Amino acid sequence: MRRHALEGVRVVDFSWIVAGPTCTRILADFGAEVIRVEYDQTLDVIRGAGASGDSPNSSGFFNNLNRNKLGVTLNVMHPRGMEIAHELISISDIVIENFSATVLERWGLDYEAQRAIRPDIIYVSMSGFGHSGRDKKNVTWGPTAQAISGLSHMSGLPGEAPAAWGFSYMDHIAGYHGAIACVTALHHRNRTGEGQWVDLSQVESGITLSGTAILDRTVNGRTYRRGGNPPGNRAPEYGVAPHGAYRCKGDDRWCAISVFDETQWSAFVEAIGSPEWTGDARFSTNEGRVSNQDELDALIETWTVNYTPHEVMHKLQSAGVIAGAIQSPKEKVDDDPQLRHRGYLQEVEHAELGSKPLEGEPIHLSRSPWEMKRAAPLLGEHSYFVCNEILGLDAEEIGQLMAEGAI
Amino acid sequence: MNTERGALSGLTILDLCDEKGQLMGKLLGEMGARVIKVEPPGGDEARKVGPFRNDTPDPNQSLNFWAFNTAKESITLDLDTTAGQGLLKKLALNADVVLESFDPGYLDSLGLGYDDLSGINPRLIMTSLTGFGQDGPYRDYKTSDIVALAMSGIMHSCGYDDVPGSPPIRPSGGHGYMISAHYAAIGTLLALNWRDMTGEGQHVDASIHEACSCTTEWAVPIYVYHGGVVRRMTGRHHSADPTPRTMYPTRDGGYVNIFAVLNSLNQWWSLVTWMDSEGMAEGLTDSKYRDMDRMRERTNPEVDHAFEVIRKFIASHTAEEIYRGAQERKFPWGVVRSPDENLDDPHFREDREFFEEVEHPELSETYTYAGRPFISNKTPWRTFRSPLIGEHNRKVYAGDLGLSDEEIGELQSEGVI
Repeated sequence: MRRHALEGVRVVDFSWIVAGPTCTRILADFGAEVIRVEYDQTLDVIRGAGASGDSPNSSGFFNNLNRNKLGVTLNVMHPRGMEIAHELISISDIVIENFSATVLERWGLDYEAQRAIRPDIIYVSMSGFGHSGRDKKNVTWGPTAQAISGLSHMSGLPGEAPAAWGFSYMDHIAGYHGAIACVTALHHRNRTGEGQWVDLSQVESGITLSGTAILDRTVNGRTYRRGGNPPGNRAPEYGVAPHGAYRCKGDDRWCAISVFDETQWSAFVEAIGSPEWTGDARFSTNEGRVSNQDELDALIETWTVNYTPHEVMHKLQSAGVIAGAIQSPKEKVDDDPQLRHRGYLQEVEHAELGSKPLEGEPIHLSRSPWEMKRAAPLLGEHSYFVCNEILGLDAEEIGQLMAEGAI
Repeated sequence: MNTERGALSGLTILDLCDEKGQLMGKLLGEMGARVIKVEPPGGDEARKVGPFRNDTPDPNQSLNFWAFNTAKESITLDLDTTAGQGLLKKLALNADVVLESFDPGYLDSLGLGYDDLSGINPRLIMTSLTGFGQDGPYRDYKTSDIVALAMSGIMHSCGYDDVPGSPPIRPSGGHGYMISAHYAAIGTLLALNWRDMTGEGQHVDASIHEACSCTTEWAVPIYVYHGGVVRRMTGRHHSADPTPRTMYPTRDGGYVNIFAVLNSLNQWWSLVTWMDSEGMAEGLTDSKYRDMDRMRERTNPEVDHAFEVIRKFIASHTAEEIYRGAQERKFPWGVVRSPDENLDDPHFREDREFFEEVEHPELSETYTYAGRPFISNKTPWRTFRSPLIGEHNRKVYAGDLGLSDEEIGELQSEGVI
């Protein structure tokens, strides 16, 4: 009996670092058999990122991204290694990779070559600039993609350097777009029997998130690069105040507060005990609050600094005001009752890292849920299993391949 | 085999979402589904989000609404009326998917929850995208984009380490909602794939707080495995320990990101040669700068000198000059562009045809929009402008439900549609 949305789907995963593995993490969590193909002479850098030791199996970050996947090591430069890659493609539904644009072509595994091996293959390539165009060979990391696409510039205080994003945000979003592409292509194949090639550019994937700024230029003739932008924590798009992060009790502690209408403003005033300043005529309308935001924000902080971020959040939320503590990763893991209730973290046993909580999926399907089954593969952990159980090679053949350095 | 139609053509989706989930219907509509936006008479609140065309507030001319509601039809419907509830049930009978972002329990209270609608259409998929999910202690808490980015830890990772007293920063643009809408779209598509296999519909419960909490890269693993708490760093990755800056100002007031400067002798020497070719290497061509082990030591005055030379070199060029020169040499360096500056980049505009010309017949105008998230060689992507409020009332109520002109007129005068 089927239990997971992607049960029976097999993925050959040549991807590495973060963007590709994020996409295949989602597929694996929903039951796809994801076979991660690694090359043990050029390790995925994430195997060393935040690692607990010298072992290639000691990165918790790698564990988080690659749980539920099978891991094989393969040398595609070896003729027998390439044969194994072909055999894997021939029995798979999806091939995914996030190398630079010309790598699979150089391997002799572009879309047409894959289709010759498996006519209905779904091939998803995730490169920085896409597989066509004058800049297709450009080299990108996550921060490069978010800088070029415009997202870094949109984050910061007016008059300061961009604060940008504090992590490779575009590796997440490109991974989500990749997952959308994979599952949509599966649906199309279910209906028509036809596979396809999806060419995803990480920079373009980022530009889709800034559609409003694009229109402000093409409709109003105005670039986003202008005085007052980026707007810090204020929200000119809504034209409301207060809207921002407010200093709370403790060292560098903050709570976000956003008030969108007069009802919420009245509730806010009451929740903070109706101090005298709230009666000031300048703050009696939204327009007045927006024009006097500097003073308004300073006055609000005279209240918030007396409480922890969570005290501010609970006091305001129970009064119907939209507020949220700026939580640290520690608070998400240890102290967030909502995340705990919803099963945000799930523990699985890892041979070298022990039993540790991993981040789950935020989408809960009533009939075909995700499941945390096993930790990320140790380097080459499933090479034998995949060659033997999935490809049907016998022990002698596998031993030969290993001796030749093909796997 | 029909290869001219979108991957989701033939599907009908009722989109009851407000701003929180608007991107979900757009993504699915642009892949071919017929998406009918169901908004209250007077229009969705998302139509009030700016900026506006010519800076004139008008619910049909919000550029934010335009950007995130393409490829949809619109009908108006007051779900708080009995007649409105009846009409939604009729529409749900022939729909494949319902997308909604109301407070948990609201649709149930109207008799329009998943249990009610799946009773009349068992193949129906319903995706509910809410601030915190359908259950749990924060279920009834309210969210906003900044609150989603705050509680999930994203803001904890974004901001400055060199602007004293500055708060964590919300990257602007609506990312809390966009992250969540992507996940909810994935959930909907997974449910569709399940239905292809089994014929069964189901309920997808998506939480904005969880979606954003799953979008903080290595922040959680660093804490879980090392007890480290990452901190925000200007223009670069969060880290539990101090890190050198990677973002440098340019002559024209812009910035570039520089990476992997000392990763290999080849790459490093390529940079030195570039600077030297413009007479700006300031002694870096000396062989002592070729000792990569020495160059990777943190406390080495020669490294400080090297980065000071790089800083001056970058400061004497435009951002685009540094970006192009670096990429020619295969450095993974980027330029911090404003999004609209990509309209001027021929790689995206001409070679990849990323941007889309979208007609606005009601204004006798055609405007350029940001385009598709990826290119499929078999299932075309399409777009068309966002709907005016209730633009498709007649098409849907007369065409799909078979109501007469009188009946439609009556619903209008009663304020149901």
